Amino acid sequence: MTTHLIGTVKGPGETPSEFTVIAPDPERVVKHGEFVYYNARVDGRERRILGRISARRAVKLYPDAFMADPGVPPAEIGALLGYDAGADELFELTVTVLGYYSEMLGDFINPRVLPAGGSPIYIADNGLLAEVLSKRKQGEVGSAAIGSLLSREAGAVPVALDVRGFTSTHLAIIASTGSGKSYLAGVLLEEMMRPYNRAAVLIVDPHGEYDTLQEMQNRPEFAEGDYKPRVRIFKPDAIRVRIDTLTLADLRYLLPNLSEKMHYQLTRAYNYANRSFRKGYTLEQLLLSVRETAEGNKGGEEGDAFEDDPTTGALIWRMKSALGNSRIFNDFENLELSELFAPGQCTVIQLSEVDRREQQVIAATLLRRVYQARVDTEKKKAAKGDPNHVPFPVFCLLEEAHNYAPANADAVSSDVLKTILSEGRKFGVSIGLISQRPGKLDADVLSQCMTQCIMRITNPIDQNRIAESVESVGRDLLKELPSLSKGQVIVSGASVNTPVLLRVRSRITTHGGESIDAPAQWRAWFDDDRAAADARDAALPLSRDLNEDEDGDVLFA
Amino acid sequence: MDTQPGPRIGKIVSSNSHIDYVCQVYGPREYDPLPAPDDYAFGSFVAIQADDGRAPAGRLVGVIYNTLLVNPDYGNLGPRLSPRQDLTVFSPDYLSETATLVGVMALGWIDAAGQVSQGAPALAATINAPVRRLSDKEVCDFHRGADGRLRLHYLPLLMAQSDPLIAPLLLTIVDRLRDLFPDQRQRLAVMRNNLAWKQVVRPAG
Repeated sequence: MTTHLIGTVKGPGETPSEFTVIAPDPERVVKHGEFVYYNARVDGRERRILGRISARRAVKLYPDAFMADPGVPPAEIGALLGYDAGADELFELTVTVLGYYSEMLGDFINPRVLPAGGSPIYIADNGLLAEVLSKRKQGEVGSAAIGSLLSREAGAVPVALDVRGFTSTHLAIIASTGSGKSYLAGVLLEEMMRPYNRAAVLIVDPHGEYDTLQEMQNRPEFAEGDYKPRVRIFKPDAIRVRIDTLTLADLRYLLPNLSEKMHYQLTRAYNYANRSFRKGYTLEQLLLSVRETAEGNKGGEEGDAFEDDPTTGALIWRMKSALGNSRIFNDFENLELSELFAPGQCTVIQLSEVDRREQQVIAATLLRRVYQARVDTEKKKAAKGDPNHVPFPVFCLLEEAHNYAPANADAVSSDVLKTILSEGRKFGVSIGLISQRPGKLDADVLSQCMTQCIMRITNPIDQNRIAESVESVGRDLLKELPSLSKGQVIVSGASVNTPVLLRVRSRITTHGGESIDAPAQWRAWFDDDRAAADARDAALPLSRDLNEDEDGDVLFA
Repeated sequence: MDTQPGPRIGKIVSSNSHIDYVCQVYGPREYDPLPAPDDYAFGSFVAIQADDGRAPAGRLVGVIYNTLLVNPDYGNLGPRLSPRQDLTVFSPDYLSETATLVGVMALGWIDAAGQVSQGAPALAATINAPVRRLSDKEVCDFHRGADGRLRLHYLPLLMAQSDPLIAPLLLTIVDRLRDLFPDQRQRLAVMRNNLAWKQVVRPAG
């Protein structure tokens, strides 16, 4: 598409940064959300002032009566009466001024002067947009080219997110189910693992959708010189959380229905264990602490006698039940931070088939540990060789984030998430939240994510939550939410120069989160003579003559 | 494009306002050659020679926007003593009572020096002032400003008239100018579409 004139300025709009344009637009190029510009002199230099079309209204409409017969176009009636002008339609476009792009500031600057009425308005060409919409060029260090501008042909205007933007001030991907949020996350992760980024990423994956990322290890697109990304996947049975990494809050959260007295005793026992076993403790040692700190204990012998105290007994029973029977909570094993995080490594923690509360505790523990490690490393409290030494920034992506920071409910992971979202920037810990129910996500958590990728959302509660929490997206773009198609995303915030409507690019690796095609699978059941196969599988082994020795022992079959 | 001054078509006999004149088209024996119907067609540009005592005098420029036929004999069903062909011999005055009147709307003024001004003219025409059709060249000169650009400064004056014939008149004028100013077709097309939309499509809805 070449630069061309599309309309004429009519006058100022409703707000100080809006103006209206009259355009005939016979080729239908001036779409809602399209970028246009006018020329103006700012500080003695001729500048292209970019704006976005935020509304479009027809101003010249044939009378309704001309449309009485659907088989007769109104233009024909007009021609019948002597009106045979070619360009029939005229539109009034509302343009919101973004400003001119200042390379020095890397941002748009609004000149605060609207164009004069009658000024020509041009549609911005692909080259100009590719240059000014993204903070980084595609393929540059710190770029994540996730797609191209929706209003232009696919790939014509690639838009690259600034990885530095969302790895310091966090990211949220919000979309209803089936609109492609995991796909977008996959694209984003691919970009982060490309040779020009080599990120340290952890994914908390409750559905096991991200194991296809392993393909990155063998794809040439990701290799450069000695570098190729590493993808480690921790299946649910490989996940271990050492008991002494659980905080008091975690314990309380894991133990159901604690009475006031049990709370009190748990606190005492926890503090006691931390004082007594400075180098860590096991479940038995924690239970011992519970007994030691029991009300009836006067320092006498150990034994079951203390469990006669109903509080102690009940607490111990609950702890054994929640922690002792769990395959995840373990006395000695733990997922070491050095295993989980490394530059150029993408770690997937699969939490499928793990209880909801345990998922929350696992996420909370991991986040807390890595955050603490980063704080310690930055403050020089942890030196090389220390398990808490993490000398690089990390990015953690949480799927189904509304489970970890729910609105109107208490989850053990909420606090640590909020801490990281507000303080993580200083220590190089960033969070990416993915959720299909922003309405169920804590509003504070959502509003702390300064880069937002919003896909199709039809639920009005969710739309309202987005409008409340995401101030960077204009109302006009939010109106697009219900009408977005699969793979179309509104990206706004710190990682782009201005909110943009994108078409997500194709993934290099295969997508792991496809829905099951039930009718096809039902049909396939009959295709390959399943009945015969079942009969074969269920058949008894053929009886054979056995060679036996004199004692009746089988020699060989 | 014809450059010769156009033929005389008649004389001013009355007026309805400062800009709205009635011109009586010359009948037989009044002027030679007799004007052809094409010369005083609807939408033709005409000049009304002013008589301000100076020579050469300036002239008003107008456009024919209406035609009226006057026939006192219409409705007179009584017996006539002489056949119509004899009237030319016996009662020529009677025949001259039939006339073709055209309404001329004054659109501007060309002074003695040839300076064009569009809009309501300062001076009025006089009774019996001769009216002649403008040549294409004169029409072009009248519509070309000092900077050489096409101008239609009289249009608001026309649009303000309540006569139902004004709407087709405007379209006729624009069409005529489109032929005379081929380089201005784009601008005139915008103008024509706008007029046609307002005067054709909108009233029909």
